[in-house]
Amino acid sequence: MATTKGGVPRRKFLKGAASAAAVGAFATTITGFPHIAGAQAKVIRVGMPTILSGRVAILGTSSRAAAQLAVKEFNESGGVNGRMIELVDRDSKGRPDEAAKVTRDLINNDGCEIIIDAEASSGSFAVQEVIRDLPVLCLHTCSETSSLTADPKIHVKTAFRSARQGIHDAVAGGKYASAISKSKGLKRWMTCSPDYAYGRDNTAEFLEYLKIFDPNVEVVDQVWPKLFQPDYTENITKILQVKPQAMYSALWGGDLVAFIEQSNLYSLFNNITFFSGGLGDPPVLTAIKNLPAGLNTVYRYNRFYPNKPGNQAFAEGYNGIAKQEPTNWSWQNRLACSFIFEALKRTNGKTEGTALASELKGMALDSPFAVEDKITMRDSDHTIIGYPAAWGVTSSKFPYVENFTAPAWSEIIQLESEWKKRKGYA
Amino acid sequence: MLGRSSLRDLAWAALLLVGLLVLPILVPHPAMRDFVIYVIAYGLLAMSLNLLVGFTGLVSFGHAAYFASGAYIFGLLMQSGNVSLPVAMLAAVGGTALLALVIGAICVRLKEIYFAFLTLAFQMFIHSIILTWVSLTGGDQGLMGGIPRPTFLGIDLNDSMTLYSFCAVVFVACLVIMRQIVQSPFGYTLRMIRDNPHRANFLGVNVVRMKLAIFVISGTMASVGGIVMALFVSGAYPEFGFWTTSGEAIFMIMLGGTQLFIGPLVGAILLQTLNHYVTIYTEHHGLVLGIVILIFVLGLRRGLADFVYLWFQDRRTRKLEKETGR
Repeated sequence: MATTKGGVPRRKFLKGAASAAAVGAFATTITGFPHIAGAQAKVIRVGMPTILSGRVAILGTSSRAAAQLAVKEFNESGGVNGRMIELVDRDSKGRPDEAAKVTRDLINNDGCEIIIDAEASSGSFAVQEVIRDLPVLCLHTCSETSSLTADPKIHVKTAFRSARQGIHDAVAGGKYASAISKSKGLKRWMTCSPDYAYGRDNTAEFLEYLKIFDPNVEVVDQVWPKLFQPDYTENITKILQVKPQAMYSALWGGDLVAFIEQSNLYSLFNNITFFSGGLGDPPVLTAIKNLPAGLNTVYRYNRFYPNKPGNQAFAEGYNGIAKQEPTNWSWQNRLACSFIFEALKRTNGKTEGTALASELKGMALDSPFAVEDKITMRDSDHTIIGYPAAWGVTSSKFPYVENFTAPAWSEIIQLESEWKKRKGYA
Repeated sequence: MLGRSSLRDLAWAALLLVGLLVLPILVPHPAMRDFVIYVIAYGLLAMSLNLLVGFTGLVSFGHAAYFASGAYIFGLLMQSGNVSLPVAMLAAVGGTALLALVIGAICVRLKEIYFAFLTLAFQMFIHSIILTWVSLTGGDQGLMGGIPRPTFLGIDLNDSMTLYSFCAVVFVACLVIMRQIVQSPFGYTLRMIRDNPHRANFLGVNVVRMKLAIFVISGTMASVGGIVMALFVSGAYPEFGFWTTSGEAIFMIMLGGTQLFIGPLVGAILLQTLNHYVTIYTEHHGLVLGIVILIFVLGLRRGLADFVYLWFQDRRTRKLEKETGR
């Protein structure tokens, strides 16, 4: 006999509930859709399309926490011209088409007048095209793909990048690694990077500049594990067979954690000098159970580098919200907020895209993340320079990376301009 | 000469087109236009898949390959700057038809789970090509730099209202074509193949050829969805051809139903609406969507359109029985 609920048969009740929900959703679609929020003139809405679910959700959650902290501090200081800022985040699920859709929604539907694009690279290229159509101010805060701002064909007048980029890291990495290879006589190199465009491009660029700075380097083998591969035994065995003196890896996130932990079982790092393009992120460092000391890593974030009170205050504030150390994406989003706030102050709260963009071009900020005097939003290609393009060494002591060294930005810029000429970007 | 049912279908199509064109006047909000374009793109994907799943009994797990193929061929041709927009659209549709013909010629000879898995394998093969042929496709970054929309025949798709109207016209044209196919003798032959392929074969129907024909038509219609999406987001991305996109199309069919022609479209509207709202309020959208699908599967035991249709049928039957006193 069917169970009844207040005299209504269970199946009928379930059917009714499902139909009501479905019809309700449909009716909403026809009549009240879509969630028209309407901008409040007093509040400046800043939209943030990002990845909040799935394997790389930490990109979105750590970006959002940093932006929330920045907005909170800005509003507590009185806002601009009496106007406060409201952050509206939206999950793109890591899908570029969804990133384009939610960005359009944030602008058209939620009344966002500024966009902080905290998408991964492919999503950022999709958002860039939305900004071409709907020219509000946009700051890309997570994409490290150089062409996003270097390629003039992709250039959008109101879009900027407040994030590190591949070419800067490649120059800094090549310079840093070559100094070690020369001093230790590391000639036989190997790479182990994820088999997709970022992994291959990043590795190629690192090797290109390593060989420019140290022509004696020879790449004896390369292994390409799949993205999100759970078991690296095959790759580690290959590395042990080849016996390189040094190794570069563009693995990142959980993949890098798994690779290092599995490599520890084989004592891989005892005889190989290891260079990593992704190890410097505090959540990665703390996720590794037995972090070997002496591994070389690019700077992702460190509360003591640059060693400025503002940087440590940021880390403390961020920890208060997120209950963990900031990530690379966190400082980049915090910096983006600083650029936006300064531009808003200069326009006296005017949010028109071109007005804000003209203020942002060439803007130099006193930032806690600046390695030299300031971080500058370069006028010519809308990207930042002066941030920490540094490398350090892992240690067992918090915050697990120390002895950062960075090349002079003048040198990075010179090599970058040559790279741009070779690529046909300049 | 057109039959009465064809004329009725055309009248419905005209009404739908008028409704779509009037909608932005009634709700003059850009977000509404964006939402409808999104539904059009995914609606075409789901409806074209239903030609296989609902009408022929072929469950394809790799339908997004044709969605991606349409988007990439169209995007690449437009970026080359050598062809006009309508020519690029036709080439994308033609190229996808050719691709579906090759894949279909291998797949339709298999049945049930073997067919499903082979279509999935081909999809993943195409997805891998997109990822690895970086110089052509941009790899995992997708087609970068936007897709130009040059004016043709005085139509400027850079204007958002014109783009919306264009997508609406293309959508209704595709619906008319698919409806005519479903209602034609060919369409009824497909239903016969779905219900009893041996009997169809016994009656002289070349089952493999019929299946291949609908496989190609279905892939072609999915490519139009891909073109609409590429126009909307001004790009093409590997995710278009990933298995999750095929999975979404199957979800849409499950939500909307397979038996009614517009069932998958209802499913596309439902899924996109749920997606839109759930994403605003929580990042646990997978959980919410899963619960909704469970409600449909356990509560309705069929898609919404099928459920409503059968409910009306039951009511009518009961009314007739009451009237005749039986």
